[in-house]
Formats: sequence, C-alpha cells, structure tokens
Amino acid sequence: MIRAQDIHKAFGPKRVLTGVSFEVARGESLVVIGGSGTGKSVLLKCLLGLESPDRGEVMIAGLTRPRPHELAAHVGMLFQGAALFDSLPVWQNVAFRLMRGPARMARAPAREAALEKLARVGMAPESADLYPAELSGGMQKRVGLARAIAGEPPILFFDEPTAGLDPILAAVINALIREIVTEMGATAVTITHDMRTLRDVADRVAMLHEGRLYWQGTAAEALASDDPVLTQFIQGRIDGPIPTLR
Amino acid sequence: MNPILAALGAIGRSVATGLGAVGRFVTFAALALSHLVRPPFYGRELALQLVQIGWLSLPVVGLTALFTGGALALQIYAGSARFNAEFAVPSITAIGMVRELGPVLGGLMVAARVASSIAAEIGTMKVSEQIDALRTLATDPMKYLVAPRIVAATLAMPVLVAVGDAIGILGGYSVGVNRLGFDGPTYLRNTMDFLEFWDVASGLVKGAVFGFLVALCGCYFGMHSGRGAQGVGEATKTAVVLASILILSANYILTEAFFSA
Repeated sequence: MIRAQDIHKAFGPKRVLTGVSFEVARGESLVVIGGSGTGKSVLLKCLLGLESPDRGEVMIAGLTRPRPHELAAHVGMLFQGAALFDSLPVWQNVAFRLMRGPARMARAPAREAALEKLARVGMAPESADLYPAELSGGMQKRVGLARAIAGEPPILFFDEPTAGLDPILAAVINALIREIVTEMGATAVTITHDMRTLRDVADRVAMLHEGRLYWQGTAAEALASDDPVLTQFIQGRIDGPIPTLR
Repeated sequence: MNPILAALGAIGRSVATGLGAVGRFVTFAALALSHLVRPPFYGRELALQLVQIGWLSLPVVGLTALFTGGALALQIYAGSARFNAEFAVPSITAIGMVRELGPVLGGLMVAARVASSIAAEIGTMKVSEQIDALRTLATDPMKYLVAPRIVAATLAMPVLVAVGDAIGILGGYSVGVNRLGFDGPTYLRNTMDFLEFWDVASGLVKGAVFGFLVALCGCYFGMHSGRGAQGVGEATKTAVVLASILILSANYILTEAFFSA
C-alpha cells in the first residue's frame, strides 16, 4: 500500500534523510518514532508529495512519486497543529474535500456528511458553526481528525497527533485514531515521539535515527528491546548514544 | 585573495541574487496568470475577495481622494492666480485627479491595506501548514488563494479609482465653492466640459494594473514567507514596499505610453 525506497533529502548542506526504506501493508498501522529534528515530518512530506525527495522513490496506492492532488482521493492527513482553515467554520473545514474536490458536493449534503464525521470524533453539532479560533487545542485536533476521515480515504497520515495536548486528551485522541483506523480498515502512518501513541496506535514501529530507519518491529518488541538507542529514546534518558544537543 | 577580485565577486553574487529574485517573481506572475484562465474557478472566494479588497477599501480610498481633491484645488488656485488664470482650477483639479492622483494615491492606499493583509494572511497559512493542508485536499493554492485575489483586485481597483475620482472632484468643488468663491454650477460645468473620455479611461486602466500588482505582491510574498512571526512580518513589509514601488514605476511607464499615444 505504501512503499518508500531509499529516500534521500537534504536542505542545503544539512542531510536530513539518508536512505529511508520501508513498506506498510494494507490495513497496517505504522508508527514512526524519532527525536526532534530527525526528519520525521520531512519523511511524511516526502510521502505526501509536499516535498520532492532528492533521491529514491515513493509508491502509494499504486501511484509512483505521486503529487498531492493525485493522492488526495486516497489519503487523509491530520497535521501537527491541525492546520484548520481560519476563515471557514468548523463544518466547512471538515467538508472541504467534499465541496471543493473533484466531487463538488452541494452544501446541504456536505454539511450532513461533516456533522456525521464530527459526531464520530465526539464533537457536538453545535460546534459545526464555530470558527477554529473558538476551539481548544484538543477540539481542533478532533476537527482535524474529522477532516482527515471525510471522504473515507483508505490511507491516513497523522503528524504528532498528541503534540500540545494534556495526557488525558492525548489518550482520547490516540483511542480515536485506533478506533477509526480499525473500523475503516485504513492503512495508517503516524509520526510521533509520544510513547503512549506508540502503545495505543502501532501495529508496527520504526525508529528514525541519523537519517535512516534504525529499527523496525512490533510495538511489544520495541518496548521490550534492549537496543541502547531505542531504549534511551523510549525511556527518555539523558545518557546514551543519542546526543542531547541536536 | 585579490581585493579587486573579491569586490567583483561580491558584486557578481549580489547581481545574481537580484536577478534570481526577479526571475522567481516573474515566473510566479506568469504562473498566476495561467491559473486565471484554467478551471476550476472558485466563485465564492472571488466574491469574498471582491468584498474584502473592493468594498472594504472604499472608506480609505474615498477619504484620501476627498482631502487630496481639496488640497489640489487650493494649490492650483495658488499657482494659477499668479497668471490670472483662476478659471482653470475646476478643469485642472479634475484632470489631476482622474489622470494621476486618483489612481496613484488610491493604488498606494490599497497597497498599504490590501498587499499587507494578503501577505500576512497567506504567510500565516503557510507557517501554520494550512497551505500544505490545501494541497492534500486536492486544492491548488494558486487557484484557491492566489487567482481569486488577483482577479478581485484587478476588477475592484478601477471601480475604486472611479469612486475616488468622483469624490476627489467633489473635494475640489467643495473647496472651490466654499473657500475660493467659485459659482457652484459654473465649477461643475467647467469640470464636465473639460474632461475627455480618455482622461477618465486612462486612470481606470492604471487602476486595473495597480490592482493586479498589489495582489500579486501580496500573494507572492505570502506564499514565500519565512518561518515564524518574523518571517510573516518581513513578508508583509516587503509586499507593501514592492507594491508601492511597482505602482509608482508602472504609473510612469503607463503615463509615458498614454502621453505618446
């Protein structure tokens, strides 16, 4: 479903990705972990076609080196800060793909579909006419999640879904992601450094370190591993092979 | 290294950087123009921008024109009185407003209000990943954000100039009648008799060009905004400065072209 082959990406002299390869099977949930500045978000942007890899190949849903508009029907994305459109009310954010994409759904059915997705992520119908600036961070994440699943794409990407949330809200978002991925049968890639997301969401874990995928395995294997790099990251220790000044 | 070679190298790098920037701006303009004629078209966004750029700019353009028209009448009276040519105040005020001051001052005020607002809005959208979100939702930011703003500004600006011209002439009339002792109907008759179609039309053409430049600068610097508040602030400032310079230089080129025609 998703295949990344030998992805390289540099910004000027800074080499961010130096040969990342992995595959995600249909219906599988992969969680990519790694420290700040290790290129997790750049990897995600390369997968989505928002950045062009300097070298290597991405295949998603049968498309090779896809561009964002080609992927739109296949992919839903929850951005780190939710990236809701400030000028549109909540329901129009959720229905954006339905109203302005190739389908061009009319307003009334698009609003109905948006209310349904909002209900799925636990948002009351009264929130539909609010603007993003009127929502808390947790609610914005829920709306972002509703927008990602509108149109029921078979592939979902989540960029730091719990960033900036308290532990309880983070748990709620993790649970929602897990439920939705399972019930939609979607293929999911989640970028995070939240270990709770790893436990709650992952079928498989990959660790990005020094521009490459350093380690891959199941969530249980990751948590039981004695690899010094992986354990330092998972346990959040200062001492170890991962430099603290990055 | 030889200091002369070092200096030449520095100059060469600066020239190359400058030419690169011009090339990127021109390429963006060409790309934006190509998106104006290719579907999909976003009518609702265009209508929204017509209100934002056109309707909401009326007060600032109107007030600018009103005071400029009044001041212009006073200045022309002061100058023409030296040659006993006070009768020329209505006609010269009108021609000054419609051919030059209406479009230029209107353009500069819209540049300050609209180029800054567009650059800040799009820049903030870029910084907060909303532009990326648009792209993942099968929506081209050039079509959804840039094209409606450019079309709206190009259409709205001539209307703003026309309204500004009328208000500026009214400002001159008000000063002429109440301060300089002109007869009201005579002032208006002199104005209407003297103005020709091309006087007004050339100002409106300038308005359309200035509107295009204002929106283009706002969109370009918004889409190329740097990171964080400082990046957005820098984009906003540069958009207003470049829009103002382009308006003044385009005004000279257009005036020269109309003058030669």
